[in-house]
Amino acid sequence: MATLPLEGIRVIDCGYVFAVPYAGGLMADMGAEVIKIEGPGRLDITRDSPFSGVPADNDPGVDPWNRTSNFNQINRGKKSLVLDLSRAEGRDVLRDLIRVSDVFMENFTPRVMRSWGLDYAAMKELKRDIIMVSNTGYGHGEGPYTQYPAQATTQEATHGLAHVTGYRGDIPSKAGQSYVDFLACWACLIGVALALRHRHRTGEGSWIDVGMYQLGCYTVSEYILDWLANGRLGERLGNRHPWYAPQGCYPCAGDDQWCVVSVRSDEEWTALCAVIGPPELARDARFATDAERRAHHDELDARIGRWTAALPKLEVMERLQAAGVPAGAVFDARDVNLNPHFWSRGFLETVEFPAVRRMGKRVIMGRPFRLSKTPLAVRGPAPALGAHNGDVIHGILGYSDRRCEELEQAGILAAQPRTPRTPSPMSMDERVSQGRLAYHDPDFKKRLGIEDA
Amino acid sequence: MPPFFHDESDPEKSLFFLLLNLNKRGITLDVETPEGARTFTALARRADVVVETFLPGHLARLGLDHAALERVQPALVMTSITPFGQSGPHRDYAGDEIVAYAMSGMMSISGTTDREPLKHGGFQAQYEAGLNGALATLFTLVLRDRTGIGQHVDVSTQEVVTSTLVANQPFYSFAGGVQSRRRPGGAMFGNVMPCRDGYFVSQAGGGATWDEIADFYGRPELKDGRFADADRRIVNGPALDELLLEATKHRTMAEMFRTASEQHRMLFGIVQTPADLAQCAQLETRDFYQEVEHPVIGTMKVPFRLWNMTPTPVTYRRPAPMLGQHNAEVYAEWLGYGDDELTRLRDLGVI
Repeated sequence: MATLPLEGIRVIDCGYVFAVPYAGGLMADMGAEVIKIEGPGRLDITRDSPFSGVPADNDPGVDPWNRTSNFNQINRGKKSLVLDLSRAEGRDVLRDLIRVSDVFMENFTPRVMRSWGLDYAAMKELKRDIIMVSNTGYGHGEGPYTQYPAQATTQEATHGLAHVTGYRGDIPSKAGQSYVDFLACWACLIGVALALRHRHRTGEGSWIDVGMYQLGCYTVSEYILDWLANGRLGERLGNRHPWYAPQGCYPCAGDDQWCVVSVRSDEEWTALCAVIGPPELARDARFATDAERRAHHDELDARIGRWTAALPKLEVMERLQAAGVPAGAVFDARDVNLNPHFWSRGFLETVEFPAVRRMGKRVIMGRPFRLSKTPLAVRGPAPALGAHNGDVIHGILGYSDRRCEELEQAGILAAQPRTPRTPSPMSMDERVSQGRLAYHDPDFKKRLGIEDA
Repeated sequence: MPPFFHDESDPEKSLFFLLLNLNKRGITLDVETPEGARTFTALARRADVVVETFLPGHLARLGLDHAALERVQPALVMTSITPFGQSGPHRDYAGDEIVAYAMSGMMSISGTTDREPLKHGGFQAQYEAGLNGALATLFTLVLRDRTGIGQHVDVSTQEVVTSTLVANQPFYSFAGGVQSRRRPGGAMFGNVMPCRDGYFVSQAGGGATWDEIADFYGRPELKDGRFADADRRIVNGPALDELLLEATKHRTMAEMFRTASEQHRMLFGIVQTPADLAQCAQLETRDFYQEVEHPVIGTMKVPFRLWNMTPTPVTYRRPAPMLGQHNAEVYAEWLGYGDDELTRLRDLGVI
């Protein structure tokens, strides 16, 4: 009997960067056998580009492509196969793999899979009940943008979110990083789950065609509806709430320390007043209702900011929360990594790399959901490049040694990048002085309890 | 909750409710009363999934948590979506959109270093938590299809938003680095920049080399060694900003989007407004919008299709329900209640 949701499910993951690879990583957590395919001349850019984050201990070692933070976070628990899909012999191997797999995932631009003769119609010929996932910038079809190159950061403008994000009265802005990639990751997973249930009932496969633009537009739906119904275009409110007040992000004691506060009712306003004082504040008619508080928001910001400025952010959060007022410290990456709430819930996990990888233990994020009877966990580190070539070629496909050698000699199958890129040699101090990092903790391993034995 | 259709604050004219409840039927039930709790349990007995967003512990006090409901329906999948999850030291904290953004870590990297951290516009954490609630529920159903086992699914909105920090959280556990917000000046490239009639974003990478990007902007100085790679573009950011602003101040969003995307294979975006999205030809080809016929609002086009799927695309069946619209229908169908029973419950104030 299956004990994990995806036990016994084989997934071919041809995705690159964030959205599809992250979906694959989460599927591995849920029990799937996930085979990540990269090309010898086309590594996932989370291994060897400015999108790769930082190598473990900021030391590129002899195999920098195996050491980067972004790759190892996202691709946990997978197998790695390095196969040159730009050549017909490589695609023949892929076809054999599809014949014995359940799910195939890719994020090539729409014309690539078609030009390879591997669109969904062709996939079905190889495996009648295959579940195919395609993630693209604008989705497949005949739309005017369909062939446009796309990436989450530029799409955040195009899909409308930047128009309503930004400081009040200032230019549009983006927030976070690669936002729509994560929406796409979750959409792909929902599609796979729906397709697996459909297959379970009917024996039929599916094609899930995710376009990131479309998903991003959905997240500004209320603005679109407000335009259609009321002719309003939406505005940039900074950290203010569209209806309730006060709400904002306030400075706390120390350098770059902040806490947010959000008051959503008169009760919460009274509770806030009781904490920050003075007592007559709660009785001031200028602040009695949401409308009044919105009209005097600048003054309220100044009052709240004066109170928070003298206190550590955690104390601001704890004192307001104890009074029932929504408040939250602005956590940075250190706070996230050391967060007792996350650790108590098992959201952060420690992954141990094999000794030969020379990366020790690292902390990565698990999943934002928990099942009461099926404990889920990261099932292993992300693979070194090509680490499972043999497993896949011999174990799954049953190719002969001779065929395998031929593929290796032809450069179709490889365990090294064809042209390794030299990573940035920048020290952590240089990263800080350039403003790429706020700070760094040389003793981070001790803080995280992952010191080398 | 606003916005309302024609700004009339009528619960049947809430545009959020219209958006988020398409294809559902709607009933009323006061689960805080003993009779309501009994009725809810009877409904749960017939259900595959219960989704709820009460504060942790509230349903247990009413005898309606998963432990209680699985006694009548062992295969029940019950999904709870809350600000901080069902356990841990912050589980009883009051949550809110901006609180999720702060405590997830997202705000620490959003905005500029000379100002306060910034949240996304709108209610992104809520949309994100909804997607994760759906996916966790569905994979639990996938497992139930094989094992028959139902269970409780605990989704934390805070953890959902933190999950998007795949480039920030491990930067610390791999090398001790903590990222911050972007600098106010000298960091325009890759961020939103003004042009003649609006704003645009341009990024290196994708199919275009830096020389091709320089050609798009029509400024040969961009090919200088000063801007040859990402590191040098950051160091020489102020000079780069100046060149780019000069090069784009007479160009329009539409022209640049088309030229950059079609001729130079660049990663390029323009800041579109809700009005642009409401009439977007790309979205039309994807069947993004659904024409909805609502009894109070009338005919309206509503965002509907999040992605496409074959052979089982999402299909439209009905508009969002009005309050209690399907009481008679659902209570009859699920519990066999007739008019007398409904009248009794109505008199008790339970429905």
